[in-house]
Amino acid sequence: MKRAKLKQMDARIKKIRKAAEELKELSGGIQAVDRNASRILASVKMLEINISDILDLRS
Amino acid sequence: MTNPYPFLKEIKMAAKKIDPKNYWNPIVETLPIENMRDLQLLKFKKIVQWAYDRSKFHRKLYQDAGLEPGDIKTFEDVSKVPKVEKAMMRDIQRKDPFPYGDALCVPLEEVTEFRQTSGTTGTPVYQPDTWQDWEWWAESWAYLLYAQGYRNTDRVFLPFGYNIFVAFWAGHYAAEKIGCEVVPGGVLDTEARLLKIQELKATAMMATPTYVLGMADTAKKKLGIDPAKDLTIRKITCAGEPGASIPSTKQRMEEAWGAKVYDHVGATEIGAWGFECTAQPGGLHVNEALFLTQLEDIETGEIIEEPGRKGKIVITALDRIAQPCIRFDSKDVAEWSAEPCPCGRTFRIIKGGVVGRADDITKIKGVLIAPSAIEEVVRSISGLSNEFEVLVTKKGDLDDITLKIELLPEAEGNREAILAQLKDQLRLKTNLGYNIEVHPYNSLPRYEVKAKRFKDLRKHG
Repeated sequence: MKRAKLKQMDARIKKIRKAAEELKELSGGIQAVDRNASRILASVKMLEINISDILDLRS
Repeated sequence: MTNPYPFLKEIKMAAKKIDPKNYWNPIVETLPIENMRDLQLLKFKKIVQWAYDRSKFHRKLYQDAGLEPGDIKTFEDVSKVPKVEKAMMRDIQRKDPFPYGDALCVPLEEVTEFRQTSGTTGTPVYQPDTWQDWEWWAESWAYLLYAQGYRNTDRVFLPFGYNIFVAFWAGHYAAEKIGCEVVPGGVLDTEARLLKIQELKATAMMATPTYVLGMADTAKKKLGIDPAKDLTIRKITCAGEPGASIPSTKQRMEEAWGAKVYDHVGATEIGAWGFECTAQPGGLHVNEALFLTQLEDIETGEIIEEPGRKGKIVITALDRIAQPCIRFDSKDVAEWSAEPCPCGRTFRIIKGGVVGRADDITKIKGVLIAPSAIEEVVRSISGLSNEFEVLVTKKGDLDDITLKIELLPEAEGNREAILAQLKDQLRLKTNLGYNIEVHPYNSLPRYEVKAKRFKDLRKHG
């Protein structure tokens, strides 16, 4: 796996985070949206730990 | 095989053997040590800043030490951060915000999980976690279960009381995350659990070593079931006690169940920080992707990097946010292994697992001893049952140590030879003489979770 592939994965992870955060903004307080979006964000954090954080390393 | 991660420095050992399918995350699990240290330092700085900004407890701790998060620039600076001891956590708890106190770094409404320590060493400590923390718990267990061969084809039975102790809760969620089929054996008694394992043909199980042995005993004596032949459990993950890293206890469990037995080490306040892999290298990998683990000389506090020297583990959970665990003095005693693991992971190995606790290792008749050394001897002698008890008292000014054991009924004919062997081995392995008391089979206490077999009564007069 090359750095470019990791970057591609990181870009998708960022998109998921952004989408989940936007869902919460759009929900108008609907708990069924807010709470499920929060759970998605917790899973996104695990993707960041496993993939995105590695990109912070020096090449 | 070419280096699959060319943007990092060459992966010397692992690149020869890497098959990504063998790892939960092949990228971090085979990261060269210098890259891992860089990653850990980055994450350590972030978690210290997080705690400093949000927790009165941590801010005061660091300010009293004259430390600002920005002072941490190099890996060596990590040791400048004050350690946290369990007693400090006890002091702040039950205060505001109730019941966790001011080490809490998130609003109370973001806490979704409560667990508490077992209280083995004093008043239980409460542990709050957010849902993200809980995902992180499962993630740390996913690393370890995957390394122990758990896959989505496994049917995993969990014979533990689902309650306020963290125990195997995260193992349950991690097995689900891996895709295993999970069978919660919560309120069933031991016989019902065994019958359910048989009925469902469960392939894996998680329990304390004490309970693993106790279940096998119950299966044979009460149900006429031989777990090694009549059941389908082929891997067992242990926690809660050091038994799975004690060779004689591991052997007893593996023979009784016809299964591979793997150890793991963790704590409520820390997380699941170490695990044995399928290569069984005679020690436990430290999960360096999620934890920064330092070994400190017990007397001087000097950081130990070289193999072969025992120290206590000081540990940081790099991504846990509700009640951060930063430079926590675990009291666990271990030593680094000199050997790399054939599994290809670059995560360092603690040789022989956790060999004791700094507050358990005690001096008897002038000899330093860890209770696990006595367990290793007792469990290595085939005519003895799995149960034993050690009682340390004072007779006048002198320490007195009594070992209570049980002979297996079928071993009664060899009583004298077994006792002679026991005395010899104890003298050889622990340098101590014992009063040996032979108790009737099945009369010593049986435990389901953490056993309390070592009782030092000297402090109580």
